Amino acid sequence: MAEAFLVAQDLHKSFNDNKAVNGVSFTIDKGEIFGLLGPNGAGKTTTIRILSTVLQPDRGDVTIGGYSVRDNADAVRRRIGVCPQELALYVDLSALDNLVFFGRMAGLSGKEARAQAMANLELMGLTERAKGKVDKFSGGMKRRINLAIALMGHPELLFLDEPTVGIDPQSRNNIYETIEGLRDGGMTILYTTHYMEEANRLCNRVAIMDGGKIIAMDTPYALKSQIGSPEQVTLEDVFLRLTGRSLRD
Amino acid sequence: MIRPILVALLEVRTYLQDKGDLGFSLLLPIVIFALMYGAFGGQSQFHGTAHVVDEDQGAPYSALLLERLGELENLDVELLSLPEADSQLERSDLLMVLYIPNGFSDKLASGEQAQLVFKQRGNGGQEGQIVASLIRGVVEEISQELQVQSQVKNALAGRGISQDHIQITVQKFLDQERQYPIVGVREETVGTSPDLVSQFLPGIVTMFVLFAITLSSRALVEERKKGTLERLLTTRLSVGQLFVGKFLANVCRGFVQTFILLTLAYMVFRLFTPLSFVEALLIALIFSAAGSTLGLIIASVARTEDQAVWTSVTFTMVMVMLGGTFFSISEGSALYIASKASINTYANAAFKTIIAQGGSLADVGLELGVMAGVIVVGLVLSRLIFRVMPGGK
Repeated sequence: MAEAFLVAQDLHKSFNDNKAVNGVSFTIDKGEIFGLLGPNGAGKTTTIRILSTVLQPDRGDVTIGGYSVRDNADAVRRRIGVCPQELALYVDLSALDNLVFFGRMAGLSGKEARAQAMANLELMGLTERAKGKVDKFSGGMKRRINLAIALMGHPELLFLDEPTVGIDPQSRNNIYETIEGLRDGGMTILYTTHYMEEANRLCNRVAIMDGGKIIAMDTPYALKSQIGSPEQVTLEDVFLRLTGRSLRD
Repeated sequence: MIRPILVALLEVRTYLQDKGDLGFSLLLPIVIFALMYGAFGGQSQFHGTAHVVDEDQGAPYSALLLERLGELENLDVELLSLPEADSQLERSDLLMVLYIPNGFSDKLASGEQAQLVFKQRGNGGQEGQIVASLIRGVVEEISQELQVQSQVKNALAGRGISQDHIQITVQKFLDQERQYPIVGVREETVGTSPDLVSQFLPGIVTMFVLFAITLSSRALVEERKKGTLERLLTTRLSVGQLFVGKFLANVCRGFVQTFILLTLAYMVFRLFTPLSFVEALLIALIFSAAGSTLGLIIASVARTEDQAVWTSVTFTMVMVMLGGTFFSISEGSALYIASKASINTYANAAFKTIIAQGGSLADVGLELGVMAGVIVVGLVLSRLIFRVMPGGK
C-alpha cells in the first residue's frame, strides 16, 4: 500500500454563514497527482488555502509529511510549493529576481536560489528571458513563471490551482510536460482545474467537490466506468452528471 | 533575520524602480524646503503691504502720506478703488484697508482735525495689525510736523516773516530731523538663525514624516493586489518577519526624505551645529519608525487601497492638528490633554528642543521613550490585528 503524504481529515471552514468547506477528507499518496475538481464556488480554493497553511480550518486537521498544519505550520511550509490561481508575481522585477526572491523565502541560500532559479527557468523554456521584466511578458510566460516560483525550494508537495487558465496551447503543453516530469521525479501534486481532459491526462485520482463536500473520489477510469464505457464516456460527462448542468455564477 | 531584510530590500528596490514614485518622494522635501525658503526668505524681518483707498486723490496731504508710506523699506503700498477694497474685504481676501477720506487734505490745510479710517475684518490679522501700526507711526509723524508748522507760524505771526518762508524753513529742519534723528534705533541681529524657521521647521518635519504613514499603510494592500501576500504566507517567511521587513523599508524611505529636508535646512538656514544636526537626524529616524508602525497598524486592517489611504490621511491630519503643528495649544485645555495622544506632540517637542532651544538628546528622553514605545507596541499590535482580521493569517 502506498504511503499517504497528505492526510486531510474532516475539514470545515465557514465564512459568516457560508460553509465553504464542509467535512472534507481525503489522502494523497507520495508521488501521486491528485485532481480536485468542482464547479465555481465548490470549495476547491478554500481547501487549498487550508492545506497550504494560509487559512486555519474551523474544524479538522491536515498532516503533510507527518506535520500538522495547525500545530507545525512552519514544518509544513518547508515541504510545500504553491502555484496560486491568480498570478502572484512582482511584475516590476525580472523573472530571475522573482524566482531568487521566493527561493530565499523558501529557505535557500543566495547561491542555491540563483542556481535553482536558472534551472527552473530552463525547465519552463524561459532562460533567454531570465532578465526580462515580468511586466513585459505574455500571459503564458507569466503562468510559467508562476509555476516556476512554486518549484523553488524543491517542495515535496506542489499545489497547482488552475495553472493553465487563459494560456495558449503551446504554453499549456509546456506546463503539462513539466508536471509529468515532476511526477516522474517523485513529486506529489494536488491539481485543480476546470479542464476535464487535463485532469484525465494528468491525475492518478480525482475528487469532485460540490457545495463544500467531496461527492466522488476515484481514478478517472473508475469514475467514468460508473456511468458507462470508459472508452466512450468522458470525465466531463461524469462531472456534469454529478454536479448538474445549472449555472453556478 | 535575513528574510525581513530581503523583504525590505525588495520593497526598496521596487520603490527605486518606480521612477514616478521615486521622483515625487525625493522632490517633495526639496519642494517643501523651497516653499519654506520662499516663505521665510532667509530673513526674519517683517515685510507687508498696505492696501489703501485714496478718496482724496491728488490732494497734497494724501499724496504726502502715500509718499511717506512708500519710503518705508518693509512696506509696499497698493492702491485700490473703493469698490475693489470693499469687495475684497467682504470676501476676506484682505483683512485690513486704509481709507483716506475725501476732503482729508482740505481739513488739514484749514487747520481742522482730519481722520483716516482703518476697515478690517476681525482684528485685521497679524500682518494687518503690524501694517496698521506702521501707518499710525507715519500719520503721527505728519501730524507732529503739522503741529510744529502751525506753532511756529503762530509764534512768528506779526513779525513780518512770510508764511511761505516760515513753512519752507521749518520743513527743512523737519526733513533734517527725519533724515538724521536725534534719537535713532540701531538693529542688531543675534546669531545667524532666523527665528521663524527654527519655530516652524519642527512642525514641518513632523508633518512630513507622517506622510510615511500613508506609504506604510499601503504596503500590505499592494501585496494583496499583486497576489503575492498569500504566496509569501505559504513560504517560510513568518508574519512577524513580513511586518519587520515592511517596517524597515518604510523607515528607510521616510528617513531619506527627512534627511534631505533637514540637510537643506542645515546648509541654507544654518540652524544646527554638527552635533545638533546628528541629534535631529536621530529623532527623525525614531519618529519615522514610529510613523511606520502606525502605518502598519492601518495596513493590517485595510483591505483596499482607498481604505488604507483615507484612513491614514485622516489619522495624519488628526495627529498633526493635535500635535500643535499649525497652532499652539494652551496648557490645561481639553485640547492639551488630547494632544498627549498625538505622537506629533512628542516629536514636535523633541525637534523644538534641539532646533529652537539648543537642547540636547538628554533633554528629550521622555519624548524619545514615548516614540520608542509606539514602535514596539505598533509592531506587536499590527501583527496581532493582521492575524485576527478576516483574510489575515
